[in-house]
Amino acid sequence: MIKKKCVAMLLAGGQGSRLGVLTGKIAKPAVPYGGKYRIIDFPLSNCTNSGIDTVGILTQYKPLELNDYVGSGKPWDLDRLNGGVHILPPYQGQKGGDWYKGTANAIYQNLGFIERYNPEYVLILSGDHIYKMDYSKMIEQHEATGAACTISVLEVSLEEASRFGIMNTNEDGSIYEFEEKPKQPKSQLASMGIYVFTWEKLKKYLTEDDANPDSDNDFGKNVIPLMLNNGELMMVYRFSDYWKDVGTVDSLWEANLDLLNPKIDLNLSDKDWRIYSRTVALPPQYIADSAKVEHSLITDGCEVAGTLDYSILFENVTVEEGASVEYSLVMPGAVIKKGAKVKYSIIAEDVVVEENATIGKDPTELSPEDFGITVIGSGVTVGKGATVGAKEMITEDVKEEA
Amino acid sequence: MISSSVAGIVFANAHDEAIEKLTQKRSIASVPFGGRYRLIDFCLSNLVNAGVSNIGIITREKYRSLMDHLGSGMHWDLDRKSGGIRILPPFNVSRVRLYQNHVEALYGAMDFMTRCKEKYIVIYDARTVANIDIREVVKQHIDSKADITVVCRRGLKITNGDNTMALDVNKEGKVVLTGFPEKIAADDIRSMGVYVFTRDKLVEIVKNSYETGGDTINDDLISANLDTLNVMAYEHKGYAAIMDCPKAYRRANFELLNADIRKDLFNAQRPIYTKTRDDMPTRYGTQSSVTNSLIAEGCVIEGTVKNSVLFRGVKVEKGAVVENSILMQGVTVAEGAQLDNVVSDKNATVSTGMVVKGTDDKAFFVEKNQTL
Repeated sequence: MIKKKCVAMLLAGGQGSRLGVLTGKIAKPAVPYGGKYRIIDFPLSNCTNSGIDTVGILTQYKPLELNDYVGSGKPWDLDRLNGGVHILPPYQGQKGGDWYKGTANAIYQNLGFIERYNPEYVLILSGDHIYKMDYSKMIEQHEATGAACTISVLEVSLEEASRFGIMNTNEDGSIYEFEEKPKQPKSQLASMGIYVFTWEKLKKYLTEDDANPDSDNDFGKNVIPLMLNNGELMMVYRFSDYWKDVGTVDSLWEANLDLLNPKIDLNLSDKDWRIYSRTVALPPQYIADSAKVEHSLITDGCEVAGTLDYSILFENVTVEEGASVEYSLVMPGAVIKKGAKVKYSIIAEDVVVEENATIGKDPTELSPEDFGITVIGSGVTVGKGATVGAKEMITEDVKEEA
Repeated sequence: MISSSVAGIVFANAHDEAIEKLTQKRSIASVPFGGRYRLIDFCLSNLVNAGVSNIGIITREKYRSLMDHLGSGMHWDLDRKSGGIRILPPFNVSRVRLYQNHVEALYGAMDFMTRCKEKYIVIYDARTVANIDIREVVKQHIDSKADITVVCRRGLKITNGDNTMALDVNKEGKVVLTGFPEKIAADDIRSMGVYVFTRDKLVEIVKNSYETGGDTINDDLISANLDTLNVMAYEHKGYAAIMDCPKAYRRANFELLNADIRKDLFNAQRPIYTKTRDDMPTRYGTQSSVTNSLIAEGCVIEGTVKNSVLFRGVKVEKGAVVENSILMQGVTVAEGAQLDNVVSDKNATVSTGMVVKGTDDKAFFVEKNQTL
């Protein structure tokens, strides 16, 4: 193998249980986003745009669709003679094998993969964030400071800080303490789950961590504290552009509609930093005479004859005449039939919303505690005239109502 | 099976002059069509969907844009170890002069024809827009023991009679007479410019015809051999259009606004492939109004669009109105501009407040990169 400066390892094995029915059949990184993307397009495109051409993808939970989607890595220009993209599922060796126990264990089990490229640095990424980031700048800083590990951080508000892993730092940006979801945060620097390790250090600490039977084999919980206790130089890398964790239904919905918010700087048509995706061969979208489309994103293969406001239609969606979709995401292949009303909802792939059905509620109609995004799981049919309320998550067909 | 027994030859430059404004700097095969395609996408997709993976593309001139579009052929699954796309620029007969006609061009592609192992060759004129089940055509060709099978369509609209042949077909489907369209009834059967030849026969008749100064496929390879060869017709029942004049080109683009035609042409079982561009989805602004239009990805629409076809990355700014127009990739219509019956080539700009109008009969044409 030809030596690589940096190998990226993308943690894509988590179940994403907080996304509920949306990850019932697919791994979180394969969840559709932004009309034509999947969440994993962001770390993969960032890698290729940052000049990183060797990426290991650690899969475990429902990998079929994700494996299909990644394929040879061609859409991201990651089908390379040396390096390229590699799917790394758990495996059996001579002494048996095991599922990936934690984030650190997943990497530990694949030290052999990294070893082949003998890199100087290893970049650890996760498959549940929407952001555009030049990793090469982070690696440059890591190299310049001589740190054992550099952790990318985002400044969040004090209220938000208790939801994140918080880095407490000295003036020079070195970390002296890491606190997971602190009740009383001392700093507002939240970990983005993006780490650069010096390869030798990573190997040493993962091996040590694996030898400890009490460890959960998790980067945040075990490996980072272990390194800090051993006095390793750990630095933060400050990031200030758009970054969003899409681990929950509400945050996924928000991160999608952020694309329609002119005040939010997430430009996906930046020619110098393209977000690549695997596209299917579909004709352009058709907007019919009866359609009324405002403030929305629509992609290939859609047929729109109804009303759209503040919504995103993924490929091959049909919105029939007299139907309306507001503040919603409609994922690939879904059909919204005549007179149906969809509001504040996520409609998953291949859902059929029959005539005059009503899905979701406007926040102004409800008290804040009753409001929430409605989710219709993939393949579900919502019967004629049926009603699905706020916050509901539907996995079974909904019967017709007279 | 069929897949390994059929090769394809595509004419990329034939009849460039038919829509000359769009072919000033490109071959007819790479003329943009239908929001996100080039004409050659239909031909390549039809061949690929029938399992054909060895395709020679005969080019004559102005083929840079075609080569850009085709690349390695990966978008059509034609980046293969064996076969795939072979560009056949003028070669054998060009030491003296460029080939002047179909027969000379085919003679120039003789190496391709004699070296390929496939028993049948589909010859395809890239200006035909249709979703043809080539597998069925070849099956009929084999079953009927034909030497030549002409794919045809009843009542096909044709403007330029010289280039397109009408056929008289007997009960068995055999072609007994050919002629020019103006001499026969409107609902007669006309050639779509797509043919299956048994390769050995093709090699033989191209050689003979070249030596005797042959010119066109229709006259010299088909009509001249009706008595000696088994020439059959295959009737295509779906949508078909031939880009044989600027009006036909506009008509075919606007025909895509019809749901039935879209369904036929973009058959989910036989998709039309094209080069992808990684654009973001199209964004509709707060004051946009779009009706009866076909819109590709990457557009930003803040104004009004009616009865139009917009290619990738078109911008229609606030207060701008676009009607009955075809705007190709990257065109910008600035604030308050008004377009009616316009065909704009790539990356043109219509400045703020400009009013540009053609007629139903003759569109106003904006050249590539032009600023009005």
